[in-house]
Amino acid sequence: MVEITLNGQTVDAQPGRRLVEVIKEQGLSITNLCYIDGLEPYAGCRTCLVEIEGARPTPMQLACVAQVAEGMKVSTDTPNVKSTRNSVLSIILANHPDRCLTCHRRVHCMPGDICLRDDVVTHRCLTCSKNYRCELQTACEITDQGDFEEPWVGETRSYYEVPPPEPDRGNPFLEFDPQMCIICTRCVRACDSLRHTGAVTLSGKGHTTMIAFGTGGQIHESDCDFCGACIDVCPTATLMEKPNKWVGLATDWTNSVCNSCSVGCTISYGTTDDRPVIVKPDRVNPASRDQICVRGRFGYTAVSDRERLTRSLVRAGDRLLPTSFDEALQRAVENIEGVKRAHGANAIAVLGSPLALNEEAHLLVEIAKAIGTPHIDFSHGPVHRAVSAALTGAFGTHRLPSSLTDLETSDTIIAIASDLEESHQVASLRIKDAVVKKRAALVVISAHWGELDSFAAAAIRVRPGHEAAVANALADEAAAPEGVDAAAWAKAIAAVSKAKQSPATSTVLFAPNGVDAALQGETAKAAANLAIAIRGAEAASGLIVMPTDANVNGIADMGVAPGANGKSFPEIIAAAQAGEIKGLVIHADNPLLNAPGTDAIRAALANLDALVVIDEIRSTTAEHATVVLAELPFHAEDGTITNADRRVLRQRPAAIARGQERSGVAILAALAHSLGSAKKLTTVAEVARDIADHVASFPAYSTIDGAPGTTRALPANATFTAKTQPVAAPANVEGILLTVNRSLFTTWAGASMRSEEADQLHREESAWVNPRDAEALGARGGDAIVLTDGTHEVRIALRLEDGVPQGTVYVPHYYDGGAIMALLPLDGAAAAQPIRLRALQPA
Amino acid sequence: MPLETESRAQIRALIAEFRPNHGDLLATLHRIQHEYGYLSREALEVVAEQLHLFAAQVYGAASYYEEFRFEPPAAVDIRWCSGPACRARNGGGIRDALLATLAVQMNGQTEDGRVGVRLGQCIGTCELAPQVWIEERASHTNEVVGNLNAAKAVRLARALRDGATAQEVLRG
Ligand code: SF4
Ligand code: SF4
Ligand code: SF4
Ligand code: SF4
Ligand code: FES
Ligand code: FES
Repeated sequence: MVEITLNGQTVDAQPGRRLVEVIKEQGLSITNLCYIDGLEPYAGCRTCLVEIEGARPTPMQLACVAQVAEGMKVSTDTPNVKSTRNSVLSIILANHPDRCLTCHRRVHCMPGDICLRDDVVTHRCLTCSKNYRCELQTACEITDQGDFEEPWVGETRSYYEVPPPEPDRGNPFLEFDPQMCIICTRCVRACDSLRHTGAVTLSGKGHTTMIAFGTGGQIHESDCDFCGACIDVCPTATLMEKPNKWVGLATDWTNSVCNSCSVGCTISYGTTDDRPVIVKPDRVNPASRDQICVRGRFGYTAVSDRERLTRSLVRAGDRLLPTSFDEALQRAVENIEGVKRAHGANAIAVLGSPLALNEEAHLLVEIAKAIGTPHIDFSHGPVHRAVSAALTGAFGTHRLPSSLTDLETSDTIIAIASDLEESHQVASLRIKDAVVKKRAALVVISAHWGELDSFAAAAIRVRPGHEAAVANALADEAAAPEGVDAAAWAKAIAAVSKAKQSPATSTVLFAPNGVDAALQGETAKAAANLAIAIRGAEAASGLIVMPTDANVNGIADMGVAPGANGKSFPEIIAAAQAGEIKGLVIHADNPLLNAPGTDAIRAALANLDALVVIDEIRSTTAEHATVVLAELPFHAEDGTITNADRRVLRQRPAAIARGQERSGVAILAALAHSLGSAKKLTTVAEVARDIADHVASFPAYSTIDGAPGTTRALPANATFTAKTQPVAAPANVEGILLTVNRSLFTTWAGASMRSEEADQLHREESAWVNPRDAEALGARGGDAIVLTDGTHEVRIALRLEDGVPQGTVYVPHYYDGGAIMALLPLDGAAAAQPIRLRALQPA
Repeated sequence: MPLETESRAQIRALIAEFRPNHGDLLATLHRIQHEYGYLSREALEVVAEQLHLFAAQVYGAASYYEEFRFEPPAAVDIRWCSGPACRARNGGGIRDALLATLAVQMNGQTEDGRVGVRLGQCIGTCELAPQVWIEERASHTNEVVGNLNAAKAVRLARALRDGATAQEVLRG
């Protein structure tokens, strides 16, 4: 730390830091329209001018370029600085469609007023979507730009001389209105340096300079992932979130967490009238920091308000009729108790959701206890337990101390993941950070192409089902397994050797799918073996396991798992099909979307005497219910989730009920009461206290709030073993094999209702087929084809893809409400059984 | 991942010699425009792959230069010189005559794609002012037609519009 003088005040600052950051931290107002904190300065806007005593060639210097040095004397507010900044801003404004910025009457103007000065021009702050939340506007205010110029008095402005360029409103997420652009290029640098996506560029020159996407077409034709990093840095209304663009002026902010994957990016909901209107990243989770993905940013808009349940439903014959909560609750209790009286508690099962909160899961366990049934699980339970068992075999526990924050500082990363870019985008981003900024060597092991491949030193393409064996062969540094490209394998082996030289900065990442328990268990063993081969006794710190859904770790910790003699998820389904299980309580899960074996599940659901569903939407499972209790959407709930690296993250309510729906905690607590639970828990705080009291190594809210983002559900002083385990050899199955993965854009809620708009971009509605397989089939790209296992059929469009090898077909898991799950057996063994393709006549 | 098609393979073969981090971008773009007459989306993407750049970076660089085009050009382009010498000798009248005869705007082309008029910058043959030069894509012709007047310009445009080749026009 060195001392500098800022406007006469002595301030301690880190030498070498960009002066502008220090000035902002000190709470001094400074305009800096092109600087992005933490990135190299661009020095394009010149609005950050300050005076530095003795600086050469002139004391007038750019604060974003100047670096802190001992004894520096800086002034941000001398008359000279101010008037120079005004001049600079006036050049920027000359080509910007504002007038309010320099209008002396602007303090009198309210939204909706008719401008007294200027009743024809409609493009000005008062009619701009970014009014009152605009950095350019603020910049003009801090510099008193209005005292400097009233631009329309006898003045020509270049803005009025050329027709404004066309806006791009062609996609559901990102609106681009280039007439507002001040060419600060922040978006270009955000997309390049913060996302490594490079979808935005500066095009043209001179007066026609413009921001452009991809190769100059529309945004959705470019590589843009709609993460919105560019929106966050845009100082004007040029790049805006399309949903709620015009009402996005939040009156309040609620710190919360995204529940669309196990990264658990912390987000902040901007709310107006008790509903979210905008989402910004919240820097609490140290792995996500200032970045989120399209699901985090727009997840709250996944389904429209009209599609959400606001009233509970009870079955009357073929129909589900709305009713009051109390009535529905009473019916639910009668249903469950009826089954219990007739068939015993053993005929009832309870299913939780990997998307639910810890508090809800805890209450669900209480409900199972109150009923007296050991049959409690969730649809991804078998996968989670297979993976946990493998990890426990290797390390003595499955609660690993590894951290997602290690990804970006790794020198070698081996990712065994179907397509991390799509399933866990911010984890993928941190891997790209390591590759781009640290020149890390990345090895990807997957059955199909993913965007991370283009960052990888070696992309190992495997036959579905061979993931475990191939990862294990890499751990053994064995010869290239059959079917694996020899050149890629050599590079992967080189990466492993490199990793062994710097084990402390080597990471193995494994993202199990939620489908195929046996295979995921074996792959977890192989991943552990690989971590042990590289890091030896420290392996537990070098293996990151990322479940598909947000709170798999949490609900498992809460005890959502079969008790003594309890049945697992597939056993529950089989028992229901066989008529042994007669009653089912399902909280916030949709097995018809999430689990393989659709036929069996549907038959099981149809065979029940009582099906109590607690959900925010009318899911395809809810259609079979006897009672549906209407729950608040996730963004309105209060509680915690436990993400992939076991951080316990606070979810806070950003909306209130619009109808008679209630929070999951309220519903489950009421249900637990009515079913006679001994514990009388009602509020979230009570539940949280009870969890902290009863669940080992689970922190209290006060602990979480004291160290948000870094509090983890990990046993203190744990010791870890490092035992390698044999990995089963895969069967060599001939024919076409299926591989599925969570895709980026299709939302859980949309897919759960089988909505046609689940994928608003309509990008994930096709099966990837290798061109040679397509040729053999006699089908072209875009043709409708049928995938079949002989019994079930899935109709889907064919997409010609070199990203799948011959003999592999990739289908997005959430396509058509999880339609592909019908082709898989209840145990999810996708690789065991080949499928067939059939061409339909092109429509 | 982008599907390997015949047209992509062709483009890749055309630019196979160019390498990443080697200052090859402009040369690569010239090669493609010379062959195809313009830079298609697909070509920009293949260039990006070949030179390890983002497609947007390639487009951003290419769009800086007036001469790179992103739409297929007309079979024959009349490049109208906007330089000072040509202007001083009624270049404006010649431009108006060309545009009116072909019923196009500057940098536009006839509906059948046969003839276009594009803005040109002085190429130093001012002794022939006012002039245009004729660019024919198929034959890679690029020839000056100088000492024009409005009547000659109209005849030239009509001939091209009605199907004459660059060679025929230049000879006649
Ligand atoms: S972008 Fe900002 S400065 Fe420009 S008109 Fe909108 S609110 Fe005003
Ligand atoms: S939304 Fe994300 S990927 Fe798209 S242009 Fe902006 S920063 Fe790039
Ligand atoms: S779009 Fe926004 S961030 Fe990008 S250059 Fe324009 S004003 Fe700057
Ligand atoms: S990476 Fe995962 S947690 Fe983060 S915003 Fe995207 S879906 Fe949500
Ligand atoms: S912020 Fe310093 S020049 Fe733009
Ligand atoms: S007075 Fe400024 S726009 Fe109305």
